[in-house]
Amino acid sequence: MPEYKGMVQPVRATLEEMRKIHIEPVPDELKPEKAIEYLDQIRKKFRSFVMAMESCTKCGQCAENCHTYLGTRDPNNIPTNRAELIRKIYKRYFTLEGRWFGKLVGAEDISLDVIEQWYSYFYQCSQCRRCAHVCPFGIDTCEVTFIGRQLLHWLGITPKLHASVGAAMERVGNHTNLPKPGIVDTLEFMSEEIMDEFGVEVEFPVDKPDSDIMYIPSSADFLLNPYTLMGAGMFFTYIGANWTIPSTVTEAGNFGLLFDQYWTQRGNVMRLLNAAQELGIKKIVWGECGHGWRAAKMYIPSLADRPVRWPIVHIHDEIANMIRNKELKLDPSKNSKPVTLHDPCNYVRACGLNENMRTIIRAVTTDFREMTPHGMDNFCCGGGSAILFDDPEMYQRRILLSQKKAEQVRATGVGKNGDGILCAPCSICKAQLYPMVEEHELGVEVKGLVDLVGKALVWK
Amino acid sequence: MKLLIGQILPYITVTLFTLGILYRLGRWAGARIIHNITLSPWLQTNGQVAVRIGSEAFLFRNLFRFDLALWAGAFLMHFALLNVLGGHIVGFGFLGEQFALIPGLGISPELSKEMSNLLGTTFGILLFLCLLYLLIRRLTLTKVKQVTKPSDNLWLIYLLVLVGVGDIMRLFEQSFGVEYQLVRDYIVALALFKPVVGMELLNNGFFLVHFLLVQILLIVFPFSKLMHLFGMFAERWIVNRVYKDPAPGLPNVDVAAARAAGIGLPSDAAEEGV
Ligand code: HEM
Ligand code: SF4
Ligand code: SF4
Ligand code: SF4
Repeated sequence: MPEYKGMVQPVRATLEEMRKIHIEPVPDELKPEKAIEYLDQIRKKFRSFVMAMESCTKCGQCAENCHTYLGTRDPNNIPTNRAELIRKIYKRYFTLEGRWFGKLVGAEDISLDVIEQWYSYFYQCSQCRRCAHVCPFGIDTCEVTFIGRQLLHWLGITPKLHASVGAAMERVGNHTNLPKPGIVDTLEFMSEEIMDEFGVEVEFPVDKPDSDIMYIPSSADFLLNPYTLMGAGMFFTYIGANWTIPSTVTEAGNFGLLFDQYWTQRGNVMRLLNAAQELGIKKIVWGECGHGWRAAKMYIPSLADRPVRWPIVHIHDEIANMIRNKELKLDPSKNSKPVTLHDPCNYVRACGLNENMRTIIRAVTTDFREMTPHGMDNFCCGGGSAILFDDPEMYQRRILLSQKKAEQVRATGVGKNGDGILCAPCSICKAQLYPMVEEHELGVEVKGLVDLVGKALVWK
Repeated sequence: MKLLIGQILPYITVTLFTLGILYRLGRWAGARIIHNITLSPWLQTNGQVAVRIGSEAFLFRNLFRFDLALWAGAFLMHFALLNVLGGHIVGFGFLGEQFALIPGLGISPELSKEMSNLLGTTFGILLFLCLLYLLIRRLTLTKVKQVTKPSDNLWLIYLLVLVGVGDIMRLFEQSFGVEYQLVRDYIVALALFKPVVGMELLNNGFFLVHFLLVQILLIVFPFSKLMHLFGMFAERWIVNRVYKDPAPGLPNVDVAAARAAGIGLPSDAAEEGV
């Protein structure tokens, strides 16, 4: 069972699975020593990490602003305490304060137990950055868990889910292991669906040379969220775009951001840039994926191995722009059920999509109700950074981690009659919320935002 | 002993304080801002950045937004602290007659002294009470207890003692106070590396303790959590910066033309006829 001394932990990748993603796990007896070595290397690089280690005053403000603490009341889920799991080691080995005063300032020797704590609590953090948003200094615990997970990865400790996703990305270019024939088939099927349901002809060009626009969908949209991909196809057809989907990158996500920013994340970036060059495109448009959009928008500039010649924008940015320019004819009455919007954290605190999502949702629905709090102050769905573990213990955690979101949705009243819509335009949010709205009996259906746009387009 | 605390230690203190701070700042500067992790919604100009960082640093904006009770204690504590520190400099520098120097107000030196006294006492007591409030908060609120390390409480207790002794010198000036003139001459002599005058100050036990505590504070400051004074700005400079979105607009897209051409609509009337 994935539990270590009373701490819940995700199932680990096996030795073979780790080797597939180019890691040779460190034997247990060497782990503590190596952990210090790796930590020493990485701490000298990232100022965001150093500042999180060295400037917290322990004011406690972040505690009740983290949905994981609200849901579990586990003190180690308080952001500053989560960071403290690594800070106590950092202090002990790398600061004068910690060397001189030891326990008094909370310094502690490294041990396997500490490493296991890291594994448990860094993988309960959804890297939503609400702590950074509320901290008086802006201390970003997400930066700490990024680095903590990186260290764990180098030591050979990575969740099975993340490792298999990383391997799939390298093998076929998406997280769901869907090969090109499967992609093409699914897209053809979607064309038929669109014809049946909306009566319009939509084609999904794959690898079409000399396209102007390269659209990067989330691979989950092929299977779990078809209406999001159908909506995007309808939108591009409606505006008469010369667009294509690259078969080598059918994935808006980039799990590398979440567990291995060195090899995995970087590899995915190169893959994308190669595809853009091969297809001769002019602009890259991103699909609905929170962490993936952050990885693309904010990390490609600093990870790319060559000048990036293609502007990268989010599909919401473009749709909102066209709505503002009155270029789209939309009929909001096509979405007349009560709707509320769950702001994907990565969109609102890391990618500035706040206003654009609202421009769109107001134009395509008739009964939109904001949650409290919303926008940049929102709470995470509880599945962020893909902690969507399905084993029995971690699944129970997911329910607890989504408690705050459930309260928020309930308070809007959109699900009162059991016919509400919870718009959550991020694949991870969707994957977390599909089961969670059932667990919490919220009376809402989870949908993307482009889904609603597709429905509202007026073609004639 | 008095020679050590009064004439030798001050030089050691100032040296360690300065070098210590440089060491910490150098440590921070050595690590770089690798990825762009600025928080959105984006600030659009450096003016906005200055306003944001300024309002966080001087008004504690985030505490105000998310925890009013903490804001009240923390803001008043720091505000009182700022005034007390400023008061030390100005009050000793001008021997309490600073307000008389402001032209056009017509304040007499005597009045200025009284004002100086009143302000000093008020902020001194306010500072003490706020520190006490923050300590009680640490000892009572569950979430704060859960994040507190022994050193966090010790810092507050340390400052309470330091400030408490200072307040006693003010409140019972007759018995325990010090003469401003003496202090000024003493500090000036130290600063100019001149033979020290006014050593009799240190016969006052309260002054001796106060002065010693301040020096220890300054020595430990660069290696402690008090460095948040500088950390504040270093961290904000990472997460609050200007970012501009790339321009929207898709290449070779003409929606009006596409709609006029009826792209996507089933091509023939035949279908409609079916
Ligand atoms: C621009 C300068 C400064 C800023 C923006 C600042 C900001 C803050 C903030 C936001 C907190 C957290 C709230 C709290 O726990 O009360 C804090 C705590 C604290 N600050 Fe400052 N500070 C500054 C300078 C100083 C200085 C010079 C001292 C010197 C003694 C100091 C002493 C403390 C102490 C002792 C605490 C902890 C209070 C507690 O334990 O609750 N601060 N500061
Ligand atoms: S809000 Fe910031 S300073 Fe306060 S305890 Fe949390 S991380 Fe530390
Ligand atoms: S990033 Fe989110 S989940 Fe992680 S500690 Fe901060 S608030 Fe909590
Ligand atoms: S999963 Fe969605 S809500 Fe949660 S962190 Fe990602 S973007 Fe945030």
